[in-house]
Amino acid sequence: MSGNELLVRITVNGTEHVLGVRPNTTLLQVLRNDLDLTGTKKGCEMGDCGACTVLLDGRPVNSCLVLAVQADGSEVLTVEGLGGEAGLHALQKAFVKHGALQCGYCTSGMLMSARALIERSPEPTEREIREALGGNLCRCGTYPRLIEAIRDWKRFEDVELDTRPLDARERDQERDLDVVSHGVTRYDAPDKVSGRARYTADLKLPGMVYGKILTSPIPHGIIRRIDVGRARALPGVLAVITGQDVPDTWYGVSPARYDEQILARDRVRHVGDEVAAVAAIDEQTALEALRLIDVEYEELPAVFDPFEAMKPDAPQIHPENRRYEGNINTLVEWDFGDVDAAFAEADHVRRQRFVGNRTYQSPLEPHASLARWEHHGNRVTLWSATQVPHYVHQMVSRTLGIPMGDIRVIRPAIGGGFGGKAETTPLDFCAVLLSKITGRPVMMEYSREEMFLHFRGRHKQYMDLEVAVKKDGTILGVKSEIVLDGGAYTSFGVITAYYAGSMIPTLYKVPNYRYKGVRVYTNLPASGAFRGHGVPQPRFAFESMMDMLAEDLGLDPFEIRRRNAMDPDYRTCNALDISSCEFRATLDQAEAKSEWKAKKGRLPRGRGIGVGCGGFVSGAGYPIYRSDFPHSNAVIRVHEDATGVSLHIAAAEIGQGSDTVLTQIAAEELGIPYEQVWLVDCDTVLSPLDLGSYSSRVTLMAGNAVKMAAAEVRRQLFEAAASVLGCDPGGLVARDGRIFIREHPAVGMSWAEAGRLAFSRGGPVVGTGHYRPPKNLGGDFKGGTVGTSPAYSFSTAVCEVTVDEETGYVTVDRFVDFSDAGTVINPVTFHGQVEGAIIMGLGETLLEDTVVGEQGRLVNPNLHDYLIPSIHETPRIHSGAVESFEPRGPFGAKEIGEGSLLPVLGAIANAIYDACGVRITELPITPEKILRALREKREAAGGSR
Amino acid sequence: MKLDHFVYHRPGSLAEASELLRSLGDAAHFIAGGTDLLPDLKRGRERACHLVSLTGIDELRAIRLDDGRLQVGALASLAEVHESPAVRRAFPALAEAAGVLGGVQIRNQGTLGGNFCRAVPCADTPPICLAGGAEVVLSDGREERVVPAAEFFTGPRQTVLAPGEVMTALVVPPQPAGSGACYRRFTLRGGLALSVASVAARVVLDGEAIREARIVLGAVAPVPLPVAACGGLLAGQCPDDDLFGRAGEIAAREAQPISDIRGSAEYRRELVAVLTRRALAEAVRRARGDGRYDWEVQR
Repeated sequence: MSGNELLVRITVNGTEHVLGVRPNTTLLQVLRNDLDLTGTKKGCEMGDCGACTVLLDGRPVNSCLVLAVQADGSEVLTVEGLGGEAGLHALQKAFVKHGALQCGYCTSGMLMSARALIERSPEPTEREIREALGGNLCRCGTYPRLIEAIRDWKRFEDVELDTRPLDARERDQERDLDVVSHGVTRYDAPDKVSGRARYTADLKLPGMVYGKILTSPIPHGIIRRIDVGRARALPGVLAVITGQDVPDTWYGVSPARYDEQILARDRVRHVGDEVAAVAAIDEQTALEALRLIDVEYEELPAVFDPFEAMKPDAPQIHPENRRYEGNINTLVEWDFGDVDAAFAEADHVRRQRFVGNRTYQSPLEPHASLARWEHHGNRVTLWSATQVPHYVHQMVSRTLGIPMGDIRVIRPAIGGGFGGKAETTPLDFCAVLLSKITGRPVMMEYSREEMFLHFRGRHKQYMDLEVAVKKDGTILGVKSEIVLDGGAYTSFGVITAYYAGSMIPTLYKVPNYRYKGVRVYTNLPASGAFRGHGVPQPRFAFESMMDMLAEDLGLDPFEIRRRNAMDPDYRTCNALDISSCEFRATLDQAEAKSEWKAKKGRLPRGRGIGVGCGGFVSGAGYPIYRSDFPHSNAVIRVHEDATGVSLHIAAAEIGQGSDTVLTQIAAEELGIPYEQVWLVDCDTVLSPLDLGSYSSRVTLMAGNAVKMAAAEVRRQLFEAAASVLGCDPGGLVARDGRIFIREHPAVGMSWAEAGRLAFSRGGPVVGTGHYRPPKNLGGDFKGGTVGTSPAYSFSTAVCEVTVDEETGYVTVDRFVDFSDAGTVINPVTFHGQVEGAIIMGLGETLLEDTVVGEQGRLVNPNLHDYLIPSIHETPRIHSGAVESFEPRGPFGAKEIGEGSLLPVLGAIANAIYDACGVRITELPITPEKILRALREKREAAGGSR
Repeated sequence: MKLDHFVYHRPGSLAEASELLRSLGDAAHFIAGGTDLLPDLKRGRERACHLVSLTGIDELRAIRLDDGRLQVGALASLAEVHESPAVRRAFPALAEAAGVLGGVQIRNQGTLGGNFCRAVPCADTPPICLAGGAEVVLSDGREERVVPAAEFFTGPRQTVLAPGEVMTALVVPPQPAGSGACYRRFTLRGGLALSVASVAARVVLDGEAIREARIVLGAVAPVPLPVAACGGLLAGQCPDDDLFGRAGEIAAREAQPISDIRGSAEYRRELVAVLTRRALAEAVRRARGDGRYDWEVQR
């Protein structure tokens, strides 16, 4: 114990600890760092998110806001102690069985708040649950399931936990399915509810040190001089690097636009741009070292508005490359059909400008990377909080000049991504570089504020939309002009600019379509890919427009949508091939379930109902960089005694449930119980390449690869079994751990016996599978690849709101959603994705916007002022799936995670219009905007009297 | 975000605490719950070389009710204030205000004293205390003084506290017969959000008429803002919606809001008008025995 440490006595989970702590140590740090109780999560460190909730003398507190010395003499309960001797607490089992977790990062905090609640109120009402969980945020939007699980907790008190669905059904005879289509519990649930799951920042290695990055305080400038002398001299500092010490190469996401550097060499382009990095023995020392780095900037004029940035005399943000002259990052000009003729023959044309918002993914888990060089010092292992292990692997290799074979990327548990973790970060590069220099494992994390400064959130889009229709509502043509505020770098933005145009003609039949997209550089943190990539704002605009047109023409909003609705096997004007499509069924069922006809136009003043529709790709048709290899690959190995198999797949579970879905697909195809599949954590040494979790690709693409690998294993077992049973392998069936002759079900053997037989004969039983999308998807025009996919999802959402016309406050009361996602592999994770998308969409529509203040500084880079939905905003949600089968998907499945966000924004905007007669065209729809619009409407009405 | 180094002191008495703070000078802060101070220290809005903890001083914790006079120790947590039967009996609108602030975790850790002494303009408990005629007890370790809550705040994050002086308790006098009080606030999110505007109202009825009314605004001025002109308008009048509406207009005029990320000054004024009307209407209902508090509503 050093001189400035204080002795504290804290009882944690029943064990007394006497610790010497520095006064500035929080209880959270003691739990995680000193006691290795990493089930308690670090989300914001400011008391804004509740991820670090523990019970202090029985009461929930944010352990990030409690000094360890303040907890002296107290009893602390963490998630690790929740179950006590009994293993899992009934609440934990209820969470597992109800699917009340997704990424799992908020889960321990939720559990602790729930535990305090049930101590006081063993049979809590929904109201009490909402109150008790009001201080815990969940970005996956699991709130509806949390409410159900906590209401139902007592049922699990003396119950042994199993994986059976809560509403366990017999096998699906009609579709011949035992595991797929059943709501088995999540594969990752036991680890996540117990606090055992290790996220990147939870990892500890012997000798590990900490890295931090110095960022620019100015929005635009030239680095004249960097003096790192004082920082290097600080005791405890092991390395300091600047742009001069890293490879002089450009990197990015799309090879079409590599415009980023690991650390700025000469120019900074936004507040938060990365300038230098340090490694030190602890985080505190690293932060102190950052303050000792002296950077001399020559400040340059900066521009924060895309329209200003396009003016001739605007500051040039990327003068190093002439292709970006005028700050134009990407220009898309498409013209399909004969748009002018369509507009000329139209009965009615409506034009409207819509404006979006700069929303941030805000996953509860901050980005983190840990690197360690090993072997002869020539190989590096990188643990990264990423959705795209392969692209990180490839980009680190390419940028740092290390062969991919010398890099091992491991993806630990991920606390949500939503697109915000879909690219290689400076943390990845700097951790690798600093580890090399120091010879120590280096851990690097973003703080909540640094996450906002790194950004890669949604582009703010300025959308001029013009639609020409016939009297009956048939769409003849669409003109769309969109300016996207890209921030200082490309990130995914070139693809975003194409997506903003390509996905408009996939939902309704648009025979003639002109799209101009301009992505502009500004001195703001770069925008990137965010759930629904580029499409939610244009879809919000289009769905608002559909209602405006319906009103102009005297049509019901459902009627105009039906008139134009997409049909199966349709080629869009921009050469996208729609295969399965049950869009009409989603319209019909949402209309019926929501009681639309009884409610539309008939709700009392201040209440309203609205509809919105959407859909998305089931995986991008092309990879981000040009390559011929399959997009998803899987290996299944039968364990030697054949009582289990291991599934090696590098797809990225980020909370969406992909591990569960892929395990189910493997079990179904192999013919064994779900519990017998052992999914190997994503590790590029152990598993073959998978492109990762983006563009809603995992279920269809990785699912197909897994299914193929499983079929290959099954074939080998059938051959072994057939030789003993004396039958044709083609006549065998594998189901629920048994292999038998289809025509004589009594004749067969156990699956394990067949597996042992196969192993004894031929050695390891391994099956491999791969998936590549159909060749030559998309049109032969520039950008024709963006928006291509093997399959598309469709959904319709109906929303009911109450608007307080005195304050403008909107309460979303209810959502009814019906989706066409093909075969639903797991109903629990499926509905969890839909509910989460609705809640996230609600936040984007009503609450969220990063606000740019003076000199390009963000005003609200925290969860205190950037408000994401809490349990209080959670509406009643009905999520349904329509009957559908996608021939290209595994067992007929397609995507659900992103498409279900798309209807939400328009549905809410349309419901607000129905409630109070004002149409807000600029996101987010804040109470203040509604009140202003109501006043303007009153004044206009008064003026015309 | 990390805390810089500081020295932590755990005095066992008020006298010791005050003396310590005086001797340590500007770079020292008292700390109770720390839910407002620690974030400010982490983001560098404030600096501290010394933190003097008040948590060991048990006498600052008690909530007592004597002859209708409510005394709430400054170290009582906001959750304790919200749940206290004494508070709910003597001045339930204070329990109401303490129950809306932050989330459960913040209310368990944050203290009433902290909510006062940090003097954040949008703090939720001060306005209702001003409306209830509360006083604040201060001590410098040697002598006590009592300051009306209305005079305690001098500006954003500024109070009358002298260096080393500690708020020991809040005292709410017995509320007059026929009185009712209510706290209403507007937030952009249902919970875990700062007030954009808030209004505390207390009315005393004399038969059908209002004998006395007080309106205090929160989050729309540098300090909790009593609006005397509302009292003038309402006194002697029979309550009705039109009257409340006029009171709301006066309150909106008197407000001194700023524009920030949560709302423009203009919008805040509009909210003040609405919240004043609503708080008054509910306060009158409560004075008549018809109003309800959240905890009285069926779970």
